[in-house]
Amino acid sequence: MQKNHLSKGLILFLGCLFIASVFLPKGLMADELEDQVRKIAHQLRCPTCQALSVKESEAGLAVNMKNTIRQMLIQGKSEDEILKFFEDRYGEWILRSPRKSGFNLLLWFLPGALILGACLVLLFYMKNRFKKSSREKPIPLSDQEKELVERKIREITRD
Amino acid sequence: MNRKAFFIAGIVISLGLIVIMIYGLFFASNPNSIPSALIDKKAKPFTATTFFGQDINLKMFLGKPVVLNFWASWCVACRAEARILEAAHQQYTPKGAVFIGIAINDTTADSLRFIAKYNKTYLLAPDDQLGTISLDYGVTAVPETFFIDKQGFIRDKVLGSVHFTKIRDFLNEQLEISGN
Repeated sequence: MQKNHLSKGLILFLGCLFIASVFLPKGLMADELEDQVRKIAHQLRCPTCQALSVKESEAGLAVNMKNTIRQMLIQGKSEDEILKFFEDRYGEWILRSPRKSGFNLLLWFLPGALILGACLVLLFYMKNRFKKSSREKPIPLSDQEKELVERKIREITRD
Repeated sequence: MNRKAFFIAGIVISLGLIVIMIYGLFFASNPNSIPSALIDKKAKPFTATTFFGQDINLKMFLGKPVVLNFWASWCVACRAEARILEAAHQQYTPKGAVFIGIAINDTTADSLRFIAKYNKTYLLAPDDQLGTISLDYGVTAVPETFFIDKQGFIRDKVLGSVHFTKIRDFLNEQLEISGN
């Protein structure tokens, strides 16, 4: 009787394992796929409502784009290939971050270079001023000034 | 001397940046239009089946100018241009032009109602579920019209309702017709 219970439990356990092995990986794969769809869709501008990414937009064309991304991923296409696919059809503006190549490098690095340049100029200028002021000898006081200072000191000490 | 050089360099850099900013704001692009990456490129081939069961393939029309319009029954601007496109089709199809309308993100029933309401008689077909044709043409919104020349190259694109004069000028040039 107990043996019968044990074998039933074993069969149930193995059954659960089988079900998990069949469905769980698929579920995980589907989640991974959706994550990738979202990641790529986030990099694309919605052609209809351009303030939003394709990921955020529910416009018909954006939904079509998300479905196309999903299908291309299932077909084994890489992220770069998918982005290139849309760039070829829509132009570079479809990418929310311009590519870091060619003329765009100016866009990416010019602001940083300008800030760095300005800091260097400022540093150089301040260093020069400091050097100049430390090299300069103090201008001696005139007799009249000396007398004035002494008079003031006397007044202060008397008080 | 050093100070003067710094001052001049600063002025030159600042002026340069202001010029770039003004160019970017007012001259680099028109904010009312989206540039198409496909102008002067070969039109992507596509096949579709019209709402009335006729198979069409863009290759079939090589040697003829094609006006390819993307539309939807729910699109207000498409109503405005529906009669314009039909009138242009009536005038230019007998002379050798081809008019194709691809419905996107629409139901067949709604599309058919729209076709009947505006008496559209040119080649009208739905895009597939993924919107393959509209994505291949980089469509940004409906209506959008592409002008494909006799050699199969996209020569122009109009976003929004297309004007009759635009169609007339393109087709007159392609079909070597003079006058209006």
